[in-house]
Amino acid sequence: MSPLLREARFMLRDRGALLWIVLAFLLSAAATGFGIAEVRDQRATIAALLEEDAKDRAEALANESDWGGAAYGAFHLTYAPPSRLAFAALGQRDTAPWLHRVRMLALEGQIHEADTKNADFGLIGRFDFAFLAATVAPLLLILLLHDLRAGERVGGRHDLLVATAGQASRLWLPRAFVRFAGLALALLVPFWAGALIEAAPLGAVLAASALVLGALGLWWLMVEAVGRRLGTPAALLAALVGTWLALALLLPAVAKAGIEAMDPVPNGAQILMLQREAVNDAWDKPKAATMEPFLARHPEWRALGTVDKPFAWKWYFAFQQVGDMKAEPIVSAYRQGRLARDEAARGAAFLSPASLVEREFERLAGTDTRAMIAYEDRVRAFHAELRAFHYPLLFREPAYDPLAFDKLPRYQPSR
Amino acid sequence: MSAALRIAREEWRLWARSRVVLLAGLIVAVLVVVTSTLSTLSIAGEAQARAAQQASAEATFLAQPDRHPHRMVHYGHYAFRTPPPLAAFDPGVDAVTGQSIFLEGHRQNTAMFADTRAGADLGGFAALTPASIYQLLLPLLLIIIGHGVLLRERESGTLAVLLAQGQSAMALAGGKALALAGVAAMFMLPVAALATYGVANGEPALTAALMVAGYGLYLAVWASLILAVSLWLPQRSVALGVLVFVWLLVALVVPRIGINAGSAAIDAPGKIESDLVMLAQQRKLGDGHNAADPAFVALQRQVLEQYGVDNVEQLPMNWRGMVAGYSEKKLTDLMNDHAEKRMAQEAAQSRIVTLFGLASPTLAVGAASRTLAGTDLATHHRFLRESEALRFDFVQGLNELHANRLTYADDAARSSDPEAEARTRVNAASWRLLDDFRFAPDPAPARAARAALPLAMLLGWLVVLGGVIAAGARRLRP
Repeated sequence: MSPLLREARFMLRDRGALLWIVLAFLLSAAATGFGIAEVRDQRATIAALLEEDAKDRAEALANESDWGGAAYGAFHLTYAPPSRLAFAALGQRDTAPWLHRVRMLALEGQIHEADTKNADFGLIGRFDFAFLAATVAPLLLILLLHDLRAGERVGGRHDLLVATAGQASRLWLPRAFVRFAGLALALLVPFWAGALIEAAPLGAVLAASALVLGALGLWWLMVEAVGRRLGTPAALLAALVGTWLALALLLPAVAKAGIEAMDPVPNGAQILMLQREAVNDAWDKPKAATMEPFLARHPEWRALGTVDKPFAWKWYFAFQQVGDMKAEPIVSAYRQGRLARDEAARGAAFLSPASLVEREFERLAGTDTRAMIAYEDRVRAFHAELRAFHYPLLFREPAYDPLAFDKLPRYQPSR
Repeated sequence: MSAALRIAREEWRLWARSRVVLLAGLIVAVLVVVTSTLSTLSIAGEAQARAAQQASAEATFLAQPDRHPHRMVHYGHYAFRTPPPLAAFDPGVDAVTGQSIFLEGHRQNTAMFADTRAGADLGGFAALTPASIYQLLLPLLLIIIGHGVLLRERESGTLAVLLAQGQSAMALAGGKALALAGVAAMFMLPVAALATYGVANGEPALTAALMVAGYGLYLAVWASLILAVSLWLPQRSVALGVLVFVWLLVALVVPRIGINAGSAAIDAPGKIESDLVMLAQQRKLGDGHNAADPAFVALQRQVLEQYGVDNVEQLPMNWRGMVAGYSEKKLTDLMNDHAEKRMAQEAAQSRIVTLFGLASPTLAVGAASRTLAGTDLATHHRFLRESEALRFDFVQGLNELHANRLTYADDAARSSDPEAEARTRVNAASWRLLDDFRFAPDPAPARAARAALPLAMLLGWLVVLGGVIAAGARRLRP
């Protein structure tokens, strides 16, 4: 233990090293603090909207006098609440929507609605803990460790120190370890405090901590490999910064461009156009052109599926669904394309520790692409439930009774 | 001045012999050229594709068959945001906001299908664009090349010789500044080329020139910072460490902290949130589909009085169409209130972020660059406003047809009487009321005025650093 204590004492007197470590601590505290404020804000938004949503739905239903009008007028809030670890990695929540209000109309016209906040946010990005740990921390580690050997060489003490220590590793290992541990603790302590405040699950916090330590360890090895070479501290630092730049910035950007070129997704606007055309054309087409494809999907309503008036609610909602059905192939291609890109990005992330850390944080926090697609899937499932609830009322046309709406499906966020 | 030039030439000769400098310079040069080419091609393709989509959307609207005008209100139309020429250099928020928007009656939709939503997620950095290379990588390159610009002389002992020979410290600093400026100037060529290309494609010279000037200022700020650090610090390794650290803060940390601060200081509700609040108010306005809605009683009394008739059947126009137009107007005022409020909040957030440009020239140059290119948040807001004006125009045009070309009796009976329904279909030639839409960003002077604040920040940085350099040169001792 004594070499470690000795090195710790040295480090406490090294103002440069202390500066990087204090800075890491401050940045980590800021990232955690901002992250917690943001997820609390999002939770408060959801809670307030849930209340508003119930009130608004009750008001809307009170104004209606038939099943179709009620189905048309009532909106339902769906949402993906931030997980307990989301404060550390807000991930896709800044670009993908985590709120949707849907109603019985064609879903494709609603689910792609972008709830983007300020576009500058998505462009520049937030300073969250995942970004700090993935991108900024390695550079701080490089600044801390790059001149361990070269600094002593410049000071002319290198050979003497090595000779006195007997074994070189007995000297450099404790020295580097103390700095490494100092930086890791400065990063992780605010994160742990944040996790405690947010009551994040222990397993995820441990996994995230191991991830930070593992990635930093990897960077340490790289610094070691470069630092052993002879060279001035400045030349070593330049080489290390170049390595960092290549791994943390260039490689992810090139991989991203490559993946997006190789895995094209259909133009999303096509989904909307196709669905709109289908829905709008239905007004001018014979009723059978809508009811046939609809009844093929829902044979259970065949007996009640004839429409003889120019307007009937069951026909109206049937062509909404037929519009969705028309868009199905391109919708599933869009979904598959996004998943394929994500899968390719998962593989490519192994080339860059920075991407790997950020992606893994998002996965642990449930803010990755998959989680956002899973939310979309839940909205789709909920919309299907809505249809299953309303179709019997629209086709069987029992006497209008608003009490039936007590049994309206409720959206359950699964988390 | 020839002394300064000689000093600078010596520095260039030295850099030209250094493999690190050449390699780093080459990598950045290749990156700039490759991303510029790719980005120019892709933006040109996008511009063409979106212009074609806009034209095809207009053609489709005009080609619709005879139908009830209100069907056309819901059939709707699309507006596409075509990228301006300088977007090839700085695509800005284009990838974050959707590029097209669906326009229909009674609703303001959002721009959908942003590229980032379907993008491959590889962590925090945005895609490489020429602008991001200038903002992030070029400063780092200048640091790697230039951190020892003066310390080299000090560490090798030549500084003492130079000063002893009577070389003034000011001339020395001037020569070193010239050396760094020369490298920066070389790397200004690609942005100048892209700006020229932009002008050739219809970009006003004012914004293109300011764009080049802005990046020139930005690189000058970094060169000054490097020289200042080299003048004031004792060792090369310390100087490099400090510069890399400053780069880390200025280029990566402060802009994101600015975003956090903007988001924490002003809570701008998302669209879905503000829509919910709006919907509650909207219900009070009445449903424009239902002319019997009690919300229209007062209007009805007033109109009946004006025409001197007893009931809506006797009116010379279709009461239902009047109600549709009236309620669309009311509703649009309400929607615009909310949209304007939301946009004002977003603009306020972005102003806070821009103020962080005082602490980060990277943020300042980014704001100036997006503004001048016409790819900033304000231009996106302009797109939203213009597409809303287009929406309101064609919807109200259709509502006028609804009021004047249809009889109230037919319109009321059309749900149950097929013959009445057939009479409510308006001739397709009427769809020509749709205006052409070609989006263009703000005129050049307006963009230049908006970019003045961040450009002034860069100038402020340059002045302060110039002072630091002069002070450092004055106290220069071997």
